[in-house]
Amino acid sequence: MERIIQGTAPSEVVAQLRKADGYYITNTARDLSQSDFKNRILLHTDMLAAPSRERAGYFSLEITGGASVHVDILRKQVDPFLKLELLREKMPNTMFQTLCRGVNLFGYRPYPQNVIRFTVREFAKYVDVWRTFDFMNHIPNMQAVFEEVGKAGKINEPCICFSTGPEHTDDFYVKKVQAILDVTGTDIILCIKNHGGLGSPQRIGQLVNAIKQSYPDLPIHYHGHNTDGNDIGRIAAAVINGAKIIDAGDSSMTGYYGPPPSLTVIQTLKELGYTAVGIDEDAVIETSEVIRDQRQYYAAFESQIKGFQPTVQIHKLPGGAMGSSLEQAAKGGFLDKMPDILHKELPRVQKELGNYWSVTPGSQILWTTAVANVLGGERYGNPSGDLRNLLLGKYGPFPFYQPEEWIYEKVLGADWQKVLKEEGGMDEIEDIDLDRERSNLNAKIGHEATDQQLVLYLQHPNDAVNFFQFEEKFGQVYVLPPSIFLHQGKFNVGTNLSFTDHYGKEHVIEVGPSLVNGDGESNVYLNVDHHQRIFSFAPEAKAGAAAAATVLTKEEIQALNKSGDIRAPFAGNICEISVKEGQEVAAGDQVAMMEAMKMQTPVVSAIAGIVTTISVKVGDALKPGAKIAKVDIDE
Amino acid sequence: MKKKILVANRGEIAIRIMRAIQELDYDAVAVYETPDKDSRHIRLASEAVLLGDGPRCDYLNIEKIIKAAKRTGACAIHPGYGFLAENPDFAKACEEAGIIFIGPTSEVISNLGNKVIARRIMAEAGIPMVPGTSNLSAGEDGVQEALSFAAQYGYPIMLKATCGGGGRGIRLIESNEQMRKEIPVARSEAKAAFNDDSVYLEKVVVNPKHVEVQIIADKAGTTIHLGTRDCSIQRRNQKLIEIAPSMIGNKELLEEICQTAVKAAKASNYTNAGTVEFLIDKDYKFYFMEINTRVQVEHTVTEMITGIDIVRTQIKLALGKPLSFTQNDIQLRGHAIEMRINAEDPQADFMPEGGKTVSVYRSPGGYGVRLDGFVYQGYTIPQVYDSLLVKLTVHGFSWNETVSRLRRCLKNFDISGPKTTIPFYLNIVDDPDFIKGDFNTSFLDTHPQLFEYKETANEAEKLSKLIAEIHHRGTNPYAF
Repeated sequence: MERIIQGTAPSEVVAQLRKADGYYITNTARDLSQSDFKNRILLHTDMLAAPSRERAGYFSLEITGGASVHVDILRKQVDPFLKLELLREKMPNTMFQTLCRGVNLFGYRPYPQNVIRFTVREFAKYVDVWRTFDFMNHIPNMQAVFEEVGKAGKINEPCICFSTGPEHTDDFYVKKVQAILDVTGTDIILCIKNHGGLGSPQRIGQLVNAIKQSYPDLPIHYHGHNTDGNDIGRIAAAVINGAKIIDAGDSSMTGYYGPPPSLTVIQTLKELGYTAVGIDEDAVIETSEVIRDQRQYYAAFESQIKGFQPTVQIHKLPGGAMGSSLEQAAKGGFLDKMPDILHKELPRVQKELGNYWSVTPGSQILWTTAVANVLGGERYGNPSGDLRNLLLGKYGPFPFYQPEEWIYEKVLGADWQKVLKEEGGMDEIEDIDLDRERSNLNAKIGHEATDQQLVLYLQHPNDAVNFFQFEEKFGQVYVLPPSIFLHQGKFNVGTNLSFTDHYGKEHVIEVGPSLVNGDGESNVYLNVDHHQRIFSFAPEAKAGAAAAATVLTKEEIQALNKSGDIRAPFAGNICEISVKEGQEVAAGDQVAMMEAMKMQTPVVSAIAGIVTTISVKVGDALKPGAKIAKVDIDE
Repeated sequence: MKKKILVANRGEIAIRIMRAIQELDYDAVAVYETPDKDSRHIRLASEAVLLGDGPRCDYLNIEKIIKAAKRTGACAIHPGYGFLAENPDFAKACEEAGIIFIGPTSEVISNLGNKVIARRIMAEAGIPMVPGTSNLSAGEDGVQEALSFAAQYGYPIMLKATCGGGGRGIRLIESNEQMRKEIPVARSEAKAAFNDDSVYLEKVVVNPKHVEVQIIADKAGTTIHLGTRDCSIQRRNQKLIEIAPSMIGNKELLEEICQTAVKAAKASNYTNAGTVEFLIDKDYKFYFMEINTRVQVEHTVTEMITGIDIVRTQIKLALGKPLSFTQNDIQLRGHAIEMRINAEDPQADFMPEGGKTVSVYRSPGGYGVRLDGFVYQGYTIPQVYDSLLVKLTVHGFSWNETVSRLRRCLKNFDISGPKTTIPFYLNIVDDPDFIKGDFNTSFLDTHPQLFEYKETANEAEKLSKLIAEIHHRGTNPYAF
């Protein structure tokens, strides 16, 4: 049996999978990066791995999608399209795979149909396999993506999101599969998306078998996470029961919440009589050896808590959200509350909110609600905007049952029934004017934007523009290894840093002394290609000044709000300013929208009055207690 | 004891002259003002005399310079260009102090510096000239003379200060009303600038080519020319780019212009090196404009195509030696282009970038490349002098070769700190009209697209900026 070569027609790919004697492996490098390294594995490392990954003979390399598109431009400063183009040059035969969140694309909220279609069209130029899911398993939310992938001649891999509990029966999932096939036709791969790594091997084996019984010709791709350390058991059960593709990662980089090591999967299944089709084991091993040294530079992004988390079966957080959740807990200083949040409150909230699938953006709603419930005292007392939207049915109908009425009342207010009646249900999101958006972007960057730039801008307007400006200023920085790009602390004087730039020219930079002049301006001396250059940095505000600023308590922030001094209730970014200076507001009116952990929460004025000052702009990162706006009582 | 020659100038030309002095095995004496204390011309000289705190006034102070020459025992003074170079009083003071002035006699400088006398000499010698007046009479009479000149020749007309030069003290007049208004203004300006309020008129040649001829004459009266230079590409009447020889295809015309220049020099009893400037109109009629009685900034292009060291020749002639070559020895080989790399921002109307420190200075080299500069890495450009950093002169066998060499050299330049004219020049060398050799004094006005460029940094510079920031902050703020 041969590996499947990039460029093969979708119907051919599906036909080859149907008759495969054995199973294929997808290298989920993206999911590994997201689950275990907060999405920070740099293109530099993927480029190092590319030659041996190409030879390894994977079904596909999952290398884009999920949160990675955003993190690429926000924290890795790499163009997600350029990334795919450069990897394609080194990996001509390997199919590239993405994870697409249906209407939410690579973000957290539904996009207009024309944005979805435009985005899929542009990415489909590089991406062969489209794994698409919806956290409510609401199939209409995925339809536009299915259609565009089909039109582009690429492979649709729709998901059924998997979870556990009394409602999550084989019968339910088999019906979901039928509903998907009704829309897509049969030339697809079906993904069982086990983003939490939930259930026992036996449970997964049963589910694969149940689907196989109903749809014997449907190739099944099992996607799991190794959070509890047992995904190899589930993978084995899936393959034994007829799954044709499974997900695994490069062993030297595997951690706790991402995919399990591919070599272990291969060895385990070999003894059971199942061949990894097309796989060159030596190349699999070589990949791990090539990138092993790089892992040390990503240490800052590994989980705050080491070790497997078998309790995932209780809290059900998806592997892709584990790292960021723990990071938030560590930064927010409530790591000690995690047992309560994870093992008591999260399962309770899940049950109360309908036992839907804990995956983006649904997992963030569960998580923020559980955190707020534990830290905020009163349960559902401080609901996020997204929880409100969930209850209003903006994401789709609850799959099994609706939350109880008291929760609606807590979140939507006393007249919740009226609110639900008036605002409930999914919104028709109107198409946006792409030409106007394009000219807005052109104006912001000062030149004609490319289609790819427009796609990124439509996903993340502020971050995309910042990224384009970064590129102009600093060039193509993916050429820098993590030992430079993620370096912590100062370099030692005399350190030689060498790299080859985007155009192929080699450079060597020797770090010289840093001197502070009388004005507090720092001059960094670097010998760039044997010629000295000086880089000046303005003095920074004294670290002591910020540290000395008193941290306001929650009560103090509330008290200030009641006097019209609106402060940030928590740490987060301003994503919208809803008022203008001079505008009249009523008590309870939204002044701004803040975003933390991908969830949006409205900031409201406690009093009626006139907005006199706005102290923030969209995109600002605020600490708790930071000034947002002032409202003067109108007399 | 070695002979000493004092260089009464600064910047690149001081260094250029010192090199010739040293090659003749003499000692060079520098003078400087306080703002120039870090200037490289001081380091190259055997001795240096601080004239005073300046700025500029000490380089213009005849008495101080004569004193410096006497104190150091210099037997001759080379004035360079600008400052006292065309000041007949300075030449005269040298003559009176028994110091050799490297240039023509004070009388020649005086005659040719006075536009009206110069025009009279040329008219007598039958040199073609743009129609013009003698000095306008004072008051309303002068205005009437101007208006009747205008009636005869039509506008536009140039109103010039008789003692002006180098692009200073001239204004374009396009109507009778403007003429009435501008004459008194021009007079008071000329009075302030040159201590002489004489003005005269010249018919304007619209969008001419500016072609000049390098001449050399010894005291025995042998006068030869070193071919033409085209200096048409100018901004605000200041030359930016000079080319030798002129790109005019008609060789007989160029020969005629050169012979006319020799005739003009002889008519004015010229000695030493000088430049006869002509305007050429669209019908290829040429008109005498003026004779510059000094070494020109752009003398380098002539040196490149003739092999004659003009400054060395100047010194030898001034010391009384006869010309060691004849007109027949002069062969023009290939093409040369000079670009003045200025610390200016072309996109901000050539705003000077004085006061900035040159943090990186890397210059091109190789075959057919000549650099006449004085800046170095770490040098802070004084705000009180001109903005010329370095003259890039390239020489090539064919015009195409020369242009591509020029382009290569501009790209090889790496100057950080001040903005420079380099990105603007890079646009010029890619301009189709420039490549064709087709330009006149309207070039910049008719090619506004030359000003559209982005300050580009190469990848190494951009990436090192990020590395510097990571180093400075101890973390990468764009990754965490």
